[in-house]
Amino acid sequence: MTTDPKALLSLGTKLLDIDEARFRQVVDLLQQIGDHPEVQHTFSLIRPRLAEVRPKRRATFKRLFCEPFEDMFQLPGGDQPAPLNKVDRGVVNALWPLVEAHIGKERLRGVAGALGDGASRAEPARAFWSMAAAAVADILEQTETGRFADDLGLRLNPDRVRTIEDIARILTIAQPVAELKAVLSPKPIQKLHKDHLDGIQAIGRQVARGRPEALKLFILLAAVRLSDPSILLGSLWDMDLGQKSSDRAALFLDLSGTVVAQIEERSRSVASAAGGTVDRMAAANLAVDLVASLEATRNAMEHSRNKDFDQRLKIIRNSVHELVRTQVLDGADAEILSAVETLAPGADTARMVQAENQARALRKCSTIADTLGLRGELKSVTQQATASLTGTARQSLADGIGDARTGYTAIRMIELIAGPAEANQVMDDILRGDRH
Amino acid sequence: MRSLTNFAPSTFEERGAAVAFTTPVLAQTRVRKDDRDKLEVLIPNLSDGHGVYVVPWKGLPLAFPMTVHDRMLQDLIRKGDGCSPDDIRKAVLQAARCGLAGPLAVEAAEAALRDEDEQRLLINYQLIVEVLKAVGLESTDILRAGLGSEKGEHLTRSYMTKAAQSLALEPTELYARVAELATFMEPVGIATSPRPARLRRLARDLLQFRDSMTDWVNGNVSEAAPIGTFCAEVAEHTLNQVRNVVNQLDQSVAAFELLLRQWDTKRTLVRKSTTRLSWLLDGWDFIITSWAEAQTRSKHEQDMAVHELFRVLPLLPKDEEKSDHALLADGLLAANRRTVRAYVDWRSGQLDMDLVMRIEAIKGKAA
Repeated sequence: MTTDPKALLSLGTKLLDIDEARFRQVVDLLQQIGDHPEVQHTFSLIRPRLAEVRPKRRATFKRLFCEPFEDMFQLPGGDQPAPLNKVDRGVVNALWPLVEAHIGKERLRGVAGALGDGASRAEPARAFWSMAAAAVADILEQTETGRFADDLGLRLNPDRVRTIEDIARILTIAQPVAELKAVLSPKPIQKLHKDHLDGIQAIGRQVARGRPEALKLFILLAAVRLSDPSILLGSLWDMDLGQKSSDRAALFLDLSGTVVAQIEERSRSVASAAGGTVDRMAAANLAVDLVASLEATRNAMEHSRNKDFDQRLKIIRNSVHELVRTQVLDGADAEILSAVETLAPGADTARMVQAENQARALRKCSTIADTLGLRGELKSVTQQATASLTGTARQSLADGIGDARTGYTAIRMIELIAGPAEANQVMDDILRGDRH
Repeated sequence: MRSLTNFAPSTFEERGAAVAFTTPVLAQTRVRKDDRDKLEVLIPNLSDGHGVYVVPWKGLPLAFPMTVHDRMLQDLIRKGDGCSPDDIRKAVLQAARCGLAGPLAVEAAEAALRDEDEQRLLINYQLIVEVLKAVGLESTDILRAGLGSEKGEHLTRSYMTKAAQSLALEPTELYARVAELATFMEPVGIATSPRPARLRRLARDLLQFRDSMTDWVNGNVSEAAPIGTFCAEVAEHTLNQVRNVVNQLDQSVAAFELLLRQWDTKRTLVRKSTTRLSWLLDGWDFIITSWAEAQTRSKHEQDMAVHELFRVLPLLPKDEEKSDHALLADGLLAANRRTVRAYVDWRSGQLDMDLVMRIEAIKGKAA
């Protein structure tokens, strides 16, 4: 099969739009071409869709090697938060050939059963992971003397040593991690139930007994499978992993540190994205999300009487406060009102949808306004908007000025901002002819 | 899982017509008339409980907090003439157009109304062509002159007068018959139409829904799978009925001369068939769209969607399963209408046997 690199490259972006069945077919074809650099590039382009569709990929040793820590890969361009302690794909791409050479073809052939399906896979897979763990540990040891520094790009990226250390540790607990994945499926888990927590605790105990040094990574791997890692933080304090209490406090502190760093990073990315036209609903969603993480973290900290992060959490809270104030509240009422008043029948649906999102964002933020100390501001914005919209509705529905649709749209906006009860009240008042 | 017929109400009118409310608990609830000709609404699975709540239409806003759009829709239906699927659809489009359900609903309602206007024009022209064909006249001249043009209209009039003569009818009578037939056939359209009308499109979508649901169920081991199978089964039964009715209608239109000559007897048949078709497909549009939307979601969300679809699934009424022959009988639906009484199974009007058994057991112990 001949492949034109340019054709493959252009294929990449097209693959994001084609239907799912064809996407699976093309992925299958690309896999058959093999380890061509352009094919790899195409795969990296379509990675977000691969993660979403999850077509059955050909089982390879490299893929099996990555299985225990695959949750820590970051998706390019995804809007999900970056995993805690993320693993760089580049490091793995550089590391794998070394590991493969270290283990040797002969020994790999011995565990070929690991690439199969079903129960017979478990035993050889375990053997493979222990070989790989030994190989990575050995490679890591040799890097201290400067070997492989160029192959792995260590001099340019000192952070890569940390990644390789993490990989080595995770591979030593590959089996418990596989069990953990089975417990925390399907990813992402929105809410931790008792069976999830019991599972994490039981497997965590095994890890704490056998490989205490890998326990933190194990907990991070559990956190990464959740929609919000701070959920685990809340439950972690009560979890008995069979450690000494000082070790438990240290582990908790470690995880808190990474979770807080992640929230910080997200709130910073918001601050840098500010300015220009913003999707106010997206800003409100993000703010609600961040406040939930913040609250869960703060509760967990209070539980453990840990004051170390107070200042950092305060800064995060302030940046979310700014986010809501500038991107949801500022000018909201004027924008909604002008969209309603200049409404022309049959025109500009996009603008109306935007105004509706604005109204919904206001309502969404009412749940977090108290926490952020924005209650007064939010109240004044919503009251102002509701009052002006009521005026517009009355003009068009009771006094007959302008189009009736403007009036109904104003009522709808009131409903989105303040809820159906308020909107029904306004509507009833107008239809009854009340002036106040 | 209980059998299909165990779930089914007795008649379409007992089942009621689905109303596109936007308040979640009321979405797709059904409205019907009680024995005093007053509207009432059936609300299934309230707070996840079994059974169906029957609430008087007037009291709906008191029982549930509703959106402003729903309050308006409720008011429009109350002021309207009836509660057939067509009446409900008219009210739904009217409520959506005013903007209380958002700009996208306005767009959709306006597009639907535009489509209806176009279909009305199209069916009128197609029926005229059928009239001319039935009496052996050519319609290409009219088309060449332009449908809306003065010459075209003049040609149409003269051809129709000729057609009326050969059918031994007054021209005004012929016009009246064609106009009436067009009103009946507008949502169904005729078989040869280049653009299928609304109910034919819906039937085609229902077929796709059945296939998609069957595919989804295949190899699926989740709890929702048997429910999915049931949904596909109900779709299949409905499609069979739809095919029968559409075939009958198409045959009637194919024998066009006979249809016009025996209009007095045939018109009831055509009207019944089209009404029945709208009852058969009532409520499926929401289900088909919801399922299409769920296709892009995660596996878990699809399971939830199937449960939600099941809640509002338009079950075939028991007596409709074998009612093809009863189609000719006037007033069948009215005669079969039943009302929900206390302590009877609302779907069948039969005594609730479990309850009877319980009371019997208590009586036995008390004696």
